[in-house]
Amino acid sequence: MLWLQLLVNGLETGCALGVVAISFSLVYATTKIFHVAHAGIYTMGGYLAWWLVTHGAPSAVALLLAVAACTVGGAMIQSQIYARLERRRATHLVILIASLGTLAVMQNIIAAVFTPNILQFPIPWAANVMALGGEVRLTWAQMLTIAVSLAAYAGVMWFAHYTILGKRIRAVASNPFLAQITRLQPQSVYVIVVAIASAIVALPGVLVPLDLGLQPYGGITPLLTATIAMIAGGVGSITGAFALSIVIAELQNLSLLVMPGEWSIGITFFIFVIFMLFRPTGLFAAR
Amino acid sequence: MLRKVAITLAVLATVWIGGDAPRAMAADPIQFGAIIPLTGAAAVVGTQEMRGIQFALDAVNAKGGVRGHKIEVQFEDNQAKSDVAVLSFNKLVDLQHVQMIFTGYSGPTLAMAPLATRKKILMVNAGAQSDKLSTASPYLVNTLPSTGDEVKVMSKYLVEQGKKKAVVLFENDAAGIGGRDDFLDLFVKAGGTILAQEPTQFGQTDYRPALLKLAAAKPDVMYVVITAGMVQLAQQLKQMNPDFTTVGSTFMSDPAAIADPASTGLIHTQAQINAPPELAAAFKAKYGDDMDFFARQYYNAAQIIFTTLDKVLAENKPVTGENLHDTLFAIKTFQGLLPMTFNSNTATVPIGINMMKDGKDVTLTEVTAQ
Repeated sequence: MLWLQLLVNGLETGCALGVVAISFSLVYATTKIFHVAHAGIYTMGGYLAWWLVTHGAPSAVALLLAVAACTVGGAMIQSQIYARLERRRATHLVILIASLGTLAVMQNIIAAVFTPNILQFPIPWAANVMALGGEVRLTWAQMLTIAVSLAAYAGVMWFAHYTILGKRIRAVASNPFLAQITRLQPQSVYVIVVAIASAIVALPGVLVPLDLGLQPYGGITPLLTATIAMIAGGVGSITGAFALSIVIAELQNLSLLVMPGEWSIGITFFIFVIFMLFRPTGLFAAR
Repeated sequence: MLRKVAITLAVLATVWIGGDAPRAMAADPIQFGAIIPLTGAAAVVGTQEMRGIQFALDAVNAKGGVRGHKIEVQFEDNQAKSDVAVLSFNKLVDLQHVQMIFTGYSGPTLAMAPLATRKKILMVNAGAQSDKLSTASPYLVNTLPSTGDEVKVMSKYLVEQGKKKAVVLFENDAAGIGGRDDFLDLFVKAGGTILAQEPTQFGQTDYRPALLKLAAAKPDVMYVVITAGMVQLAQQLKQMNPDFTTVGSTFMSDPAAIADPASTGLIHTQAQINAPPELAAAFKAKYGDDMDFFARQYYNAAQIIFTTLDKVLAENKPVTGENLHDTLFAIKTFQGLLPMTFNSNTATVPIGINMMKDGKDVTLTEVTAQ
């Protein structure tokens, strides 16, 4: 049953990536900013939760406080960096560079404060194993990641389609100029969007390190993979970003059945290059 | 008269040019370098290496230095990256005129080795173990056995234990590939069979896909050659509850992994180097951390250099990489934390087979490898 365990592991990795992808997609589709510092927020969430847990906070409280801190962090980045640059008519390339700089600063501060060592959460229950249906074995951390990620996806879908704020965000994303003249206040919406995306990305930011440990530079790879999932899924499509994240993770895991591990990432992304050649707007792009 | 002046000027010029070589003047501090990983995934090891050197430095300087010369070490962070290490090497040698450098990690050390040969700078490696290090440069000395030496000991032990079917999990870099190649060669020569092998990336902590694939081959034993992420490996192995034994080399002896209950049962070879209790206690009092394997290794390496430097100064030679190198091989046998002999660039030292158990690293048996 090797394939089944690989499939379930791929689902867990893909779900976590999916949450990163939908949060990044939310920012990019609305603000058109390639918010690379999102990887810093992801990392910051994990470290804050680790610090709180090591100082005696209950796990759930640590998670909620990390989410809250990331929400504030994201809002600060948008209002104090991106918005200021946009007011000065900076191009998106300049904003991208500012975002990269913000990420570098965040990573270096984290490495300086928490050391660059790989840190493990001192939560023994997270590593407890549950055997599902015979040979499939998952840790509590993995199961929690799957459950929270699916809930986050459902929550974002509901928020985007059934709340006034969600509809306002979609309106701004659809046409910022029209949103401006109809007093939807795009700049305020941008701050709210980045804050919400930061809150969402804090979830995998805490739950993945609960299983795999924390590293100051550990947010970059998930963000890059999530970005590819967002593009392949169709920019602006929450379902596309989430689904393609799972597909990428499953391909990386299941490809091990037929090829050595060093080829899995290369082959997976080669498949996506071919796919993009035939469908450059992504799988779920609105026509 | 003019001839006398010319001769005097020529002598002065010769002395002046000769003075460009770092001949130590009385009471001048002597500067060495250390290029080790202080940030990134390997920093947990590099920090201990730095502490080992600094601890030895503080002790010798507190006693007045070596023949009246205070010793200073400039630490450079190579991030376990070869390109960064080369830049650091050039900075230390060309700008600071450092003549001896402590190094760590195979890839960066191998990258610096040709420069050490060309510029005649002594490099002392007390942490990296790639086989290529043994012959990388006449100016590179290794104070611990190569991976090949350890693999030979482990292969023999495994076959004697009846564990003859193996798989290999290796890090896809110089250290990991070197260890894998050694195991593929020496385990088969010892009478074993290799069933499968899987790579991981440096700093990666999700080993599950590779572990699952390797476990599917139904081995008796898995040989692991990774240099970071041991805690996560131990926990993911525990999750799998495999029916094979997991073994490795000195790379496994991450203090955090040893302390983690999930690592119970992991077996590894290790150069046997112990610190006297009072030394270990002083180290812990200073850094709040145990004097682990890498701290002991680099403390010991620093002692070797102090002994060598003492002889260079006693013979009134300039403190050059060449003189340090020649003198080290002239002394040949050192009595530090463990006796070691330099018959070649890699020291001959005892190798133990240890098992991690309940937060401790317990020695099962010990042999001396050549």
